[in-house]
Amino acid sequence: MMLRIFAGSMLVVLVGAAGRGPFPAGTINGKVTYTGTPPKAHPIDMAKEPNCVTQHPTPVSTQDAVTGPGNSVRYVVVYIAAGDQGAPAATDTVHYDQKGCMYIPHVAAMQVHQPLAIFNDDPHSHNIHPLARINPEWNKSQPKGAPPIRTTWEQPEFIAVKCNVHPWMHGYFAVLATPHFSVTDTTGAFMLAGLPPGKYTVTAWHERFGTQSQEVTIGGAETKTVNFVLTAKPY
Amino acid sequence: MRPIIRRMARMAALSVLLGAGGTTAGWAQESQVGSITGHTDAGKKLYRRYCIGCHGPSGDGAGENAPWIDPKPRDFTLAVFKCRSTPSGALPTDEDLFNAITRGFVTTYMPQWRPLTAQNRTDLIAYIKTFSPKWRSGKPGTPIAIPAEPAPTAESILRGRQLFQRMECWKCHGPAGHGDGPSAATLTDNKDLPIRPYDFSTGTRFMCGATNQDLYRIFMTGLDGSPMPSFADQLKPAEAWDLVHFLRTLQPIETREAAIWRDWLNTHARELKPIGPGGGGR
Amino acid sequence: MVRRFLKAAAPLAMLVCAAMAPNPGGSTVAATYTAAYATYTHRIPSFARKYNLPCSACHTAWPELNAFGQAFRDNGYQMMNDRDSPIWQNPSYIPVTFRVTPNWHREGATKQPVDPTPGVPSCVSATGVGCVPRTLMQSGFDLSGMDLWTAGTIYKNISFVLLPSADANASFHFEAAFVRFDNLADNRWVNLKVGKFELDNLISEKRFLFLSGNGGVYQSYHFLPAGDANDFGLGDNQIGAELSGHSQNSYTRYGVALLSTSSGNPGLVSSNAYDTYLTFSHAIDAGKLGVERLGVYAYLGRRPTYFQTTDSGAAIPGTGTGNKPFYRVGLSGDFFFGDFELLPLVMHASDDKYLANATPSNGTLPAGAQAATWNAGFLEAHYYVSPQLVFTGRFETVRMAQQAISGTQKNLGDVDAFSGGVRWYPIMFSRAGLSWHTEISAVRMQGSVFAGSDRVWATSVFSGLDFDF
Ligand SMILES: [Cu+2]
Repeated sequence: MMLRIFAGSMLVVLVGAAGRGPFPAGTINGKVTYTGTPPKAHPIDMAKEPNCVTQHPTPVSTQDAVTGPGNSVRYVVVYIAAGDQGAPAATDTVHYDQKGCMYIPHVAAMQVHQPLAIFNDDPHSHNIHPLARINPEWNKSQPKGAPPIRTTWEQPEFIAVKCNVHPWMHGYFAVLATPHFSVTDTTGAFMLAGLPPGKYTVTAWHERFGTQSQEVTIGGAETKTVNFVLTAKPY
Repeated sequence: MRPIIRRMARMAALSVLLGAGGTTAGWAQESQVGSITGHTDAGKKLYRRYCIGCHGPSGDGAGENAPWIDPKPRDFTLAVFKCRSTPSGALPTDEDLFNAITRGFVTTYMPQWRPLTAQNRTDLIAYIKTFSPKWRSGKPGTPIAIPAEPAPTAESILRGRQLFQRMECWKCHGPAGHGDGPSAATLTDNKDLPIRPYDFSTGTRFMCGATNQDLYRIFMTGLDGSPMPSFADQLKPAEAWDLVHFLRTLQPIETREAAIWRDWLNTHARELKPIGPGGGGR
Repeated sequence: MVRRFLKAAAPLAMLVCAAMAPNPGGSTVAATYTAAYATYTHRIPSFARKYNLPCSACHTAWPELNAFGQAFRDNGYQMMNDRDSPIWQNPSYIPVTFRVTPNWHREGATKQPVDPTPGVPSCVSATGVGCVPRTLMQSGFDLSGMDLWTAGTIYKNISFVLLPSADANASFHFEAAFVRFDNLADNRWVNLKVGKFELDNLISEKRFLFLSGNGGVYQSYHFLPAGDANDFGLGDNQIGAELSGHSQNSYTRYGVALLSTSSGNPGLVSSNAYDTYLTFSHAIDAGKLGVERLGVYAYLGRRPTYFQTTDSGAAIPGTGTGNKPFYRVGLSGDFFFGDFELLPLVMHASDDKYLANATPSNGTLPAGAQAATWNAGFLEAHYYVSPQLVFTGRFETVRMAQQAISGTQKNLGDVDAFSGGVRWYPIMFSRAGLSWHTEISAVRMQGSVFAGSDRVWATSVFSGLDFDF
């Protein structure tokens, strides 16, 4: 089980790196950091779901603003907002897990039409309620042992996901028009690979700290580093 | 909303110009319930007379009365509706909206609009659909199939009771259906506003109707926008009917199912484990 | 002699009444029986506040009810969504509504009996002796009375209405006061109301769109022939109990009421007899036209013709006897043609010969005495430009069919009335309402105190701000 989760989150980072096509592929990498004061992560009280209390001997913290050493920010979606040149669609299945009453990963990025599979690894029920505004909003129950919910999203949108049974469960589906996207890791690092030469708008989105964009030109098989500094607010 | 109407009118005119009127009849007929066609212009007048106080001039549910109402009036700009015959995430049919207007919503401020003519109600639907672009880009879903109901038996009620436990209905609706489960207090809707789970012990009607079929439809389609999810992927039709039969025993009224259940309990009550964490068995 | 319970009427109206009464001490013609302000129209912002609906949800144009408002009323002022009991209301919700109408109006009447020289008494207005006919005119800013409505649900399926109503000098009476029990035995066909209430008239005079001195009353609902001792008016609230019922959408409804013979006056002042009022109506969904309703009604009443007396002839209240019958039967309708509404009514009426001749049943009838019968009817039209603007018009007629004494001029007392107006509602929210009401009306009556061939005209011009909260 852990293996699949790991593969799932790696996949998101590496989607663009497959190097599809014969062109000399460039790469954009970098780090996302913050200035200002981020909100404090606080431990989640899961007392209403005893299963999950036992799964987390030390309580897990909220994930809406996860920061690391050097003011790095995790769970920032970095993607090509403009400049895509008919890139091949991402086709591999994005996995989204519910385990220990948490969403893993907290933010799942995917391209429109890309297969998404939602798993329940817990010995109890969850309901998955993506609060889509542009895409259809739905709400499905997934009791223990139920098969994964397989679906796709048709319109680009950052969709908040919640479980109504467990009010602390919050996550995001970042549905993007581009196949070039990356979610920052624990060090705030991201990488967009397989980019043909061209001029790109690279955008970083964070659920609390907002959105920033930069223009980047890729000349050939080169790697460009772009860093984002988001403004953190304590509330 | 005005530009939308204008655009629709222009497109309707265009389709006539192109001789495509036959294939794009959907533009001209803006809502259809049975043999009645509803029109947005008539619907707009009626909306302003009857609906605007709560649902607001732009249909966003922010009418002048909205601050005083709980639960809040529906926001038509989202095109997310609780009572549908269509799967979770799908747009409702015109009939679904017609039935909702007619029936009202028990335990809310949405009254029953039965005294309005069927034409009036159909016109209102045509107008309500102008508030969201989803009605232009998408089509209503296909209503779910509801197979014939098997006769309720003590066994089906027992199976339904186990499903009530296993599907964890009790986490919100409470072990006895009183709407007091462990998650009841923290439920929020799609606008992050608090919302209460249905209390089976006080209502004689449900949010989307009063019949066994309505009840079947409620949990198989889910009440979109609310915390109530769809169980369509989790329950087979026979199981869904079992659950219906059990839920009917929780109501404050005398139902067929309640009578059967009472008889069974007279002799077997001690065999039951209470509903709740780790419970619910026979 | 039957006790009379005339309500306060505008001064001119009284003069006209007197002018129309050929018998000394006799009765009045209904044309001006009730001043407009006394028939106060009813709509209740406190309900709108409670249920968060705009006025227009329940009223075609307030105070007139539409089909939805009718169903609400028939359900005992409930929406039937398990939110009707007061336990669901915000504690600060107070079920009180005020209504008052400051206005300017002008009242005119022709052929009024007056003293030939002002200040030199010689005229007996009831007979015309020593009088000269004059056209009289009054105009100026004025006040209506005030309604203080309190109405609501006490508990699920139990509701109440209490309506202390003041005249313009703040002298109060209870215009309505009743308790209602709805859905008895879980059946919407069984509802009971006890107290003082408006009769279940399909076309309500309490919730209609006319306010002027001569237009603010349905002649048909109050007409009485000259010399008649009856005091009944179909538009007057009565005291009694009413059993009523309705279909789920109130398209089909009935009412059966048992009423004291006191014409709505409290204190058991009349006889021990009872009146009955029967109503039934059915509506159909006519598609694009709207809701079309047709109803029948029958009021079968009795009035005492004499009382026990004491102290040189003073009647002792409640001892009325020698009850004599009268009835009002007819058809009424409410028809929509889109934004155009037609309200027709026809009535046949009859008062027993003792009532019609104001003669105690233990006394002697005048020669040629017979029952008085007449036919009445009106056609009222509304055009709703929007929920906030309505034009109104009405034509009404009353024709004597049989005079109380044979040989009396056949058309004596006949009435024709015309009214037209416009109501504009610049403020129509769910919490309060304001309307600017402008109306003209004219009533033509056959016969003055001077001559049966005279035609007396009474006219009103009215413009007022009608507000309630
Ligand atoms: Cu959950």
